[in-house]
Amino acid sequence: MQQAVPQPSSDAPGPPPPGDRRIRRLRTLLVNQIAAGEVVERPASVVKELLENALDAGATRVRIEIESGGIELVRVTDDGVGMGKDDLPLAVAPHATSKIETATDLDRIATFGFRGEALASIASVSRMSIRSRTASEPGGWQLDIEGDVVGAVRPASGAVGTSVAARNLFFNTPARRKFLRTVGTERTRCIDVVRACAMSHAAVAFEALVDGKSVLDVPPGQSPRDRALAILGKELESEMIEVRADRYDDARGLSLWGLVGKPSTARATARAQHLFINGRAIKDRTVQHAVGEAFRGLIEPGRYPTAVVMLELSPEGVDVNVHPQKTEVRFRDQSMVHSVVLRAVREALAREDLTPSLGGRLDGSGRGQRPGSATEILPGGVGGGVAGGADVGTRGFVDFFKRAIPERAQHRLSYDAVREAIERVERAGTEPAEQGAAQTGTPRAEVPDAGRGFESSAEAQRADAGAAALPAPVPAHRVLQVHNSYLVTQDEHGVVIVDQHALHERVMFEILYARVSEGVLESQQLLTPAVVEATPERIERLGELAALLAKIGIVAEPMGPRTVGVRSFATLLFERGVDPVEFMQELLDKADRERFVPDSEEALREVLDMMACKAAVKAGDRMSDDELRALLELRGEVERSSNCPHGRPTSVRLTISELERLFGRS
Amino acid sequence: MKVVCDRASLLEAINLVSGVVATRTPRPQLTCVKLTAAKEGKGGTLTLTATDAEISLRLRVDNVDVEQPGETLIPADKLRQIISAEDNEPTLTLEASGDTVDIRGEDAHFKVYGHPPEEFPAVAEFKAAVSGSGGNPPAKAVFKHPAKSLSEVIARTIFATARENTRYAINGVLLSRDGKKLEMVATDGRRLALCRATLTEKDGPSVKCIIPTKALTLLQRLLGSAQGDVDIAITDNQIFFNISQGESGADESAVLASNLVEGAFPPYEDVIPKDNDKMVHVDRDVLFSAVRRAALLTNEESRGVRLSFTGQDNRLDLSSRAPEMGEANIQVDLTDYKGEDVSIGFNPGFITDALKVISDPDVIIELKKENKPGLIRSGDDFVYVVMPVTLQ
Ligand SMILES: Nc1ncnc2c1ncn2[C@@H]1O[C@H](COP(=O)(O)OP(=O)(O)O)[C@@H](O)[C@H]1O
Ligand SMILES: [Mg+2]
Repeated sequence: MQQAVPQPSSDAPGPPPPGDRRIRRLRTLLVNQIAAGEVVERPASVVKELLENALDAGATRVRIEIESGGIELVRVTDDGVGMGKDDLPLAVAPHATSKIETATDLDRIATFGFRGEALASIASVSRMSIRSRTASEPGGWQLDIEGDVVGAVRPASGAVGTSVAARNLFFNTPARRKFLRTVGTERTRCIDVVRACAMSHAAVAFEALVDGKSVLDVPPGQSPRDRALAILGKELESEMIEVRADRYDDARGLSLWGLVGKPSTARATARAQHLFINGRAIKDRTVQHAVGEAFRGLIEPGRYPTAVVMLELSPEGVDVNVHPQKTEVRFRDQSMVHSVVLRAVREALAREDLTPSLGGRLDGSGRGQRPGSATEILPGGVGGGVAGGADVGTRGFVDFFKRAIPERAQHRLSYDAVREAIERVERAGTEPAEQGAAQTGTPRAEVPDAGRGFESSAEAQRADAGAAALPAPVPAHRVLQVHNSYLVTQDEHGVVIVDQHALHERVMFEILYARVSEGVLESQQLLTPAVVEATPERIERLGELAALLAKIGIVAEPMGPRTVGVRSFATLLFERGVDPVEFMQELLDKADRERFVPDSEEALREVLDMMACKAAVKAGDRMSDDELRALLELRGEVERSSNCPHGRPTSVRLTISELERLFGRS
Repeated sequence: MKVVCDRASLLEAINLVSGVVATRTPRPQLTCVKLTAAKEGKGGTLTLTATDAEISLRLRVDNVDVEQPGETLIPADKLRQIISAEDNEPTLTLEASGDTVDIRGEDAHFKVYGHPPEEFPAVAEFKAAVSGSGGNPPAKAVFKHPAKSLSEVIARTIFATARENTRYAINGVLLSRDGKKLEMVATDGRRLALCRATLTEKDGPSVKCIIPTKALTLLQRLLGSAQGDVDIAITDNQIFFNISQGESGADESAVLASNLVEGAFPPYEDVIPKDNDKMVHVDRDVLFSAVRRAALLTNEESRGVRLSFTGQDNRLDLSSRAPEMGEANIQVDLTDYKGEDVSIGFNPGFITDALKVISDPDVIIELKKENKPGLIRSGDDFVYVVMPVTLQ
């Protein structure tokens, strides 16, 4: 307790005489400064609070000015609803908010601000100046506050909206100022906040000036995709895959939109992951884990895919009130969120051709612009409703409404707006859906498989001018096995080099996965049980795993205190020369080490991964021409075959234009 | 050493011997074949010996003109390539001096560098194995059996061994001698083949041992042309086969020796079902054809063919189904199906494997139920157990 008493400092009132332990009301300034400790940690927190206020006010244009890393100045100017003369002093009073009235409202927080303490906190540790004007008034008002000195509201000129400037952050609390990092670091953090905010508000224009230089300038009314790409960098355009929840389940109250980068964009840190819940940038392990899990096998463990994930949940479904800066949330149904994200990302990846370009690997650049594929057409891809099921159409439409049209009310009641939009779509039937399709091109669901190949080859031709001479599409008719390990062939884009084990493993996995989702794998009984040695703990795990094992055609049971008997084993594994004892030993080992959750999807995938790896041809195995051809044919059929389950790529491509460059022909 | 010998006989011998030469070994001597020339009466013999440390083979080529007895060690693959390439020479002259061997034909002369013959590991002779030598005790069991019958017993079992299984004793074929009864058994854990023969000698100790598949494959090649009896000697850790050219008499014209596989063979008597109550006779060729056709629509993951026996119609229906491929249905009329209807899945390859080695057209199938082992018999000599597959 002793230490918790604030030590006297230059900005505090005189210290209480020693021994004076009377309880006293803290001075308002001190209260605000303590609160500021929670809310305002650094300039970036100021940027965040001011931006959120602007968005809460329904702004369609927001301008941010940052000087000296935000320490000297953070100014946010918006064209929102503004404040009247009487509102201004209230805005900086602690616990004054226009956004919440009763405690029950706390459960349904749809706006950013709700505590009413941000402005007061910032004002207490900076020199603040607010200028604002509402649409109903001919002129605006200004209020200056310095520490606990609140000035008088005075008339000011200016457009409708609000401009809040905070200067000389922590000028009156040197102790806090010391905790700031270098100007450069603080500046980066401020910019990160602006970028995140701009990313989740595609409908709103953002302009950011840092020390007088423009670092961001995005127009209003962008699609979420265009906005995300504008911020991530245009060069990632061909690398990003659009993700959406496959179904809008009203009972679940969750919708999802996002972009995930192809495996080549994975980074060693999670910084390239942008997660949002109800438009709020958050850090959340559940979502992050789900994304990582979807990429399992596609990227090496410990790396993070570039990703933008935007979740919309009903306010009842998520508690944002767990962290003072609201950067963390608590989901009411965490596993539901996890599974929706996992499935959506996984399915998006499954639709893609993930063959990395060799050129891209060699020089890290020089990718041809890939014109929008069907998956990139959305959010207008509403037309999915025609052939791809009404819920797809609804989803697209929801996003269309939510993101593309700047709508003031939306920010206050985004969830209701979504619901409303859905109802509108449902009432309208498929008509607007078709219209949407016409606007944006052919949705994927309508393109038959054969047509897709053609479409993609046409794409390739447009992308690589040099490929125009190539007849399209080229069937993979000749295959060369190199060093009994790699297959070399061609497709419509150029030369494809395939790692035979990696590809076969991938193919096996997908086949097994498909089989297992239909039923159980065929199983061959053994004459006498194959005996596996195991520790008593592992034998105990065996009971839990029985259902999983049955699925993959294995019947095993304890035989003694330290032995397990395999009575039946998957035909496929036998066919591929996999030894039941070795396999079982490894499986028990893995189940134990990785703490398999019985009956979980994860455990099933782990086991199938293992089966696939064991059953696949190995590097060094000679393959007959027929086998080579069969394997490559499967390549096309199997989803996301470009990376084997262990995260190595299964194939790389050298495009015609890359070849031309290498040979100095272009 | 200097010999002149018939090229064709030499080629046959070197081809057989090459099967046991070690290929990946740090000791170059083991990649060699040892040539031993000996005078015998007015003629002479040239003996080729090779070993891969597990198995050794000694082959004698008769009617060789031995100008100078002696021995030498020469890389087996070079010797084989030269003998095989000199295909318009009726005879070749082999002459060893020091560590080099000169091979001469009409218009050719090869000089091949070899190794001192002393560096080649000692390979026990059949007689020595029988009586025991060099500290080794005498053989536990010595008996003989007609080459033709032995070859048949091997052929009817060896196919059922596990191919890539390094872990088990089942990587070999069990040989069991008990009085007049000779049995060989092989299994890969999913099916088991047992074949019996009757020995001429009824006295002698009972013995059981597991012979590596590779040794038996080689033995089959040696038995191909053999007429008379094969002498068999089993020691603690080796088995010796002495294949005589003419009469049995341990003249050692071809001796194959192999280490035995250590470990326990599965208790095979227990897995042969005794209570299979549904029995039917089928024609071998009819069944073979039906199974093979049903197998057309199976693949790696869906290997099974369902065999459904119906008593009322006296019929066997074979059906298969592979996802994304299709289905097959084949009907076979039966004459004497006894017992309740039964439907059971099998790997079709396991059935055809057995039918291939059955010579009698009359085949007996015995079943109990869906998840119990099936039995195929031919005469009294051949018993084959197949474990079912659980179909989807
Ligand atoms: N940019 C703005 N435009 C309009 N009103 C604003 C703006 N910033 C703040 N306000 C008003 O000031 C109040 C207090 O803001 P703040 O201290 O951030 O608390 P909160 O956002 O939690 O309500 C808000 O409720 C709002 O009414
Ligand atoms: Mg606020």
